Amino acid sequence: MTVVRDPSREEEQPIPPPKPPPEPSPAEPGAAGPPVEAEGYQVKLEFFEGPLDLLLFLIKKKKIEIRDIPIAVITREYLGYLQSRDRINIDREAEFLLMAALLIYIKSQMLLPREQPLEPDVDPRRELAGRLEDYRRVKVVSARLRDLEQEQSQVWRRAAMTAPLPEDDLDLIEVTLFDLAESFFALMKRKQAQPAKVLKGKDISLADKMKEIVAVLEERGVLDFLDYLEAQETLEEALVAFFCLLELIKARLVIAVQEQLFHTIKVWLRKETSAKDDSP
Amino acid sequence: MTDIKSILEALIFISVEPLTMDKIKEVLPERSEEEIAAALTALAAEFESGPRAIRLVQTGGGRVFSTKPDYDPYVRKLLQIERRKKLSPAALETLSAVAYHQPATAPDVMSIRGVDSTTALHTLLENKLVKISGRKDAPGRPLLYRTTEKFLAYFGLNSLDDLPREEELRKILEEGNA
Repeated sequence: MTVVRDPSREEEQPIPPPKPPPEPSPAEPGAAGPPVEAEGYQVKLEFFEGPLDLLLFLIKKKKIEIRDIPIAVITREYLGYLQSRDRINIDREAEFLLMAALLIYIKSQMLLPREQPLEPDVDPRRELAGRLEDYRRVKVVSARLRDLEQEQSQVWRRAAMTAPLPEDDLDLIEVTLFDLAESFFALMKRKQAQPAKVLKGKDISLADKMKEIVAVLEERGVLDFLDYLEAQETLEEALVAFFCLLELIKARLVIAVQEQLFHTIKVWLRKETSAKDDSP
Repeated sequence: MTDIKSILEALIFISVEPLTMDKIKEVLPERSEEEIAAALTALAAEFESGPRAIRLVQTGGGRVFSTKPDYDPYVRKLLQIERRKKLSPAALETLSAVAYHQPATAPDVMSIRGVDSTTALHTLLENKLVKISGRKDAPGRPLLYRTTEKFLAYFGLNSLDDLPREEELRKILEEGNA
């Protein structure tokens, strides 16, 4: 995440192959030489966003057609890159190992004796080729987005206004916990009266629910607290939603307001938080 | 009667959100859409070529004024912003994957990129470049992600159609291989 990388430049950089060829490689000044190669790769692997990125790099380097990858050649190269590291960080690099396993699996599929030669549409390499092509598109698009980001980072627009938080001259009362609880119990009573129909078990995480609530607030600007709870599928989900709301109020991310006594409670995003988060 | 171009200029000036054609038509019901569009184009050209620090851009389905790039250092000084944060390569890739396959789940993105993208998705969610649009009717009911209006604004796109299309991508890829 923190590695800043310029994909267009990186692809042209001559990265020394794992086993240096006999002829002098077109190395960059000062960085070449077999003795330092091990450290060299360690840094290099981090340049790649993932195994697909590394594979694409090798394919380009070897001038290989994606639809017709010589698996043995590419696997050897690929493993060379992995072996140049003395240890693998499982958290970050497990995916690289997974890809190595896939390459070897594909090779084994191709080596299996068959009664008839493989038809092109059952080529074991087909799925990988499709993924590589999809990923190549993603890379092109993200390069485009990078350019646009650069362009946009130099132009400024007036700051967008956030959801219409009520002006303080209105007779709105910021609600207390008891108001919230009261509304909630009223709702629970209503819910209880309904015939129970949901039988399936479902795990709802507080974090996910919170994100959902914030997403809804962002889209609509304001949320009718009671309506929202009532729209929940199960009692459990409503409970989780209620806790989330308390949590959000506590974190001062939202503001809950009752327009009049006994009226419904409305929830807004707090202005200062949404304004602060506006610039990524 | 006041010139339609000047009316539009005033309307866009006071609008903080991009001003859409629908809004303009509410204000100017007697003008045809073609007439308004022509005036907008003319107005944009005037701002672009004139000795102005402001330009008229089309973004997020509407028109809005923005500064020209030359004035970036001054604006930043005024707003006391050292430099703008940039998205990481992982975040950009994730965003591209979501933009083209939306609504997409975290496993979808992971299978496209070949690496776990949960952290990148969280960053994007925090920056409001993607949003949760629901849950997929599949085992585990995974969350579905979509790009936001802010995504368009952030990259200066008018709509998702502004992203390179299939033919364009193929062309870029072929050129890259040559």
